[in-house]
Amino acid sequence: MAAETPTETQPRTDETEREGPLARWTQGVISDPDRRKLLYRALFYVITLFFLVTTLFPFYWLLVLALTPNSLILAGDWDLPFLRPQGFNPEAFVEVFQQIPFHLYVFNSFVLATATTIIVIVIASLAGYVFGRLSFPGRGPLMLAILMVSYFPPAAFLIPLFEAFTGNVIVIPFLGIPLFEPPRLVNTPGSMVLPFSALFLPLSIFILTTFYAQIPDGLEDAARVEGTTRLGALFRVIMPLSAPGVATAAVLTFIAVYNEYFFSSIMALGNEPQQWSPLVGGLLQYQSLYSTEFNLMAAASIVGVLPVVILVVVAQERIVSGLTAGALKE
Amino acid sequence: MARVTLEHITKRYEDVTAVDDMNVEIRDGEFVCLVGPSGCGKSTTMEIVAGLTTPTEGTVFIGDADVTKLPPKDRGVAMVFQNIALFPHMNVWENISFGLRLRKFDTDEIDRRVEHAADIVQLEGMLERMPDEMSGGQRQRVAIARAIVRNPDVFLMDEPLANLDAKLRVHMRTELQRLHKELDTTIIYVTHDQAEAMTMSDRIAVINAGRLQQIDPPLICYNEPANLFVAGFIGSPSMNFVEGDLTRDGLETPNFSVEFDPSQVPNATVGDRLTLGIRPEDVFLEHRAGNLETTTDPIDAVTDVLEPMGDEIFVYLLLDESAERSMEDALATPNQLLMSVSPDTEIHEDERTNVVLDRSKVHLFDTDTGEALVHGIDDLPGPTAGADTGAGTAGTETRATGSGTDTER
Repeated sequence: MAAETPTETQPRTDETEREGPLARWTQGVISDPDRRKLLYRALFYVITLFFLVTTLFPFYWLLVLALTPNSLILAGDWDLPFLRPQGFNPEAFVEVFQQIPFHLYVFNSFVLATATTIIVIVIASLAGYVFGRLSFPGRGPLMLAILMVSYFPPAAFLIPLFEAFTGNVIVIPFLGIPLFEPPRLVNTPGSMVLPFSALFLPLSIFILTTFYAQIPDGLEDAARVEGTTRLGALFRVIMPLSAPGVATAAVLTFIAVYNEYFFSSIMALGNEPQQWSPLVGGLLQYQSLYSTEFNLMAAASIVGVLPVVILVVVAQERIVSGLTAGALKE
Repeated sequence: MARVTLEHITKRYEDVTAVDDMNVEIRDGEFVCLVGPSGCGKSTTMEIVAGLTTPTEGTVFIGDADVTKLPPKDRGVAMVFQNIALFPHMNVWENISFGLRLRKFDTDEIDRRVEHAADIVQLEGMLERMPDEMSGGQRQRVAIARAIVRNPDVFLMDEPLANLDAKLRVHMRTELQRLHKELDTTIIYVTHDQAEAMTMSDRIAVINAGRLQQIDPPLICYNEPANLFVAGFIGSPSMNFVEGDLTRDGLETPNFSVEFDPSQVPNATVGDRLTLGIRPEDVFLEHRAGNLETTTDPIDAVTDVLEPMGDEIFVYLLLDESAERSMEDALATPNQLLMSVSPDTEIHEDERTNVVLDRSKVHLFDTDTGEALVHGIDDLPGPTAGADTGAGTAGTETRATGSGTDTER
């Protein structure tokens, strides 16, 4: 921005004396394609910088907090405007695992997220195939009904689910007729994976439906004539060709479940890794009645984020390669 | 290799009947073309054979087995698609071997077969390429290799050449014929291009509006079309049609008449509305018709437009000069006639001339039903006065043989 200002204002000054500098500058941008390109480039960098700062600053701040000893954080003696670590205490990253079994909490969230993602992708693929590639009466209303699940706030389902997962007999409301006794699922992954899958399915179904609908019929027909069943064609041809869509749905589901706390904190009756308490539950363990160890919480947050960062980077690679390899010539 | 038999195949979509009571028997090793205009049901018929569509009614046999309920993969068919349909995420080797790998062939066998198939369609050295790195013709060859690698009983080809440019299309046409000679497999080939159908097939099945019109060798379809539709569809440019009334002396059209004994025409009685069909190459200038055995009486005509094609000239003739010259299709208007003459003919636009029709190539159709009545009226004697009474029996006899001809060939 700074470099272009003189080149833009100077040549025009003698021609249009009466107009102000802003008017001259906008005139120049409108009439001169080179100048316009320069403006667009400048705007691009400004906006990119803005988003980089807003997204990366929290990570930087986490790092600063993790490296600063807790006593100094509490002292709050930051040198402004550039916030930098007060002291260097990388031991926090080790201490994280010594105070509590944090790796178990990470493991819990990872397992829950992976299981949910697999279930969601498999079921949403089948549903996406049906909604995207077959036509049958009632397709529209059925799709709408599925999407309606995602219109409800998840909290609305919490109490009935908790009732069921604690092993209470399901009773028909008002009539009091007992239906069946569900298995007691609290403190097991089942009590979390089931509601997560149900909650995240609609979005994934929607994404995959649009992607699967775009695969030309000829490719599916070819696969079926070559020797696959409809299911085989789905998993061998349609899904690989929709890799970007599948990756998007999978990453969204994975991240959402990995970060989930509300449901799992309730379905895990105690905040213990043995009761499948999730990652966020682990983070809260650094907070006790009398003290909060901010440096450890920050360090643990960084550790917890790493698996997702790696996953997204890998998936991103997939998305990009899927976009180029899947270029259909039809 | 196997026969393919369709019995009473009907396919209805909600309120549209795509295929209507189709009965076809395709012999072992035969090359049959399904031709017809767009939307006539030929592709649906092929999808029913492939198993991609289930018929509403009827039975499909491949060999002796009823495959109506079998999924496509268990039918022993291979298919080449109009849009080629190579899997874009697999290279050529993976594309060709897809079916074999699904059937768990061992690696040596797969390699050997892929090698052989690639050899037949001349794809050596391209097995590592991705489909989007290849030209249209190469991709088409990969699709054919993918089909032949499994040694299918029946080959289905759904307009495989439609997306190729004209030159490549002619080249692939000969390639396919060579392939058929080499493999000796039953091939069912869908096309809307009657030139492809004429040149490649053993028999042509002409389909219109979901109904089989005729299935016969190409030249029979050309020379003895079963009805008006086949007559108009096969041959380019298509046949001239002139409507007229059957009289005691022959056929009376608005501009000319053709004499023959109407009692010899099966399924028709004097007073019926008939359509005369004559191909452009069977219309001759009167002074050039010397070597024809029987011709009609000369017809007055005025040349309208000439279309020199190089090897022949298409001449549009106006039979009734006073009639308005129509810009519409010449075949639709009864006062026009298309004639093709050899390029050395001295002929000019707006020239008064006399033309004759080759009597042996005149086709008569029932205008209402469209059914062919007679192919060639050279055998029919001229009008014989007073023969009406005795002709009834003769007419029935001819009818019997006539209807036999239509169905059998």
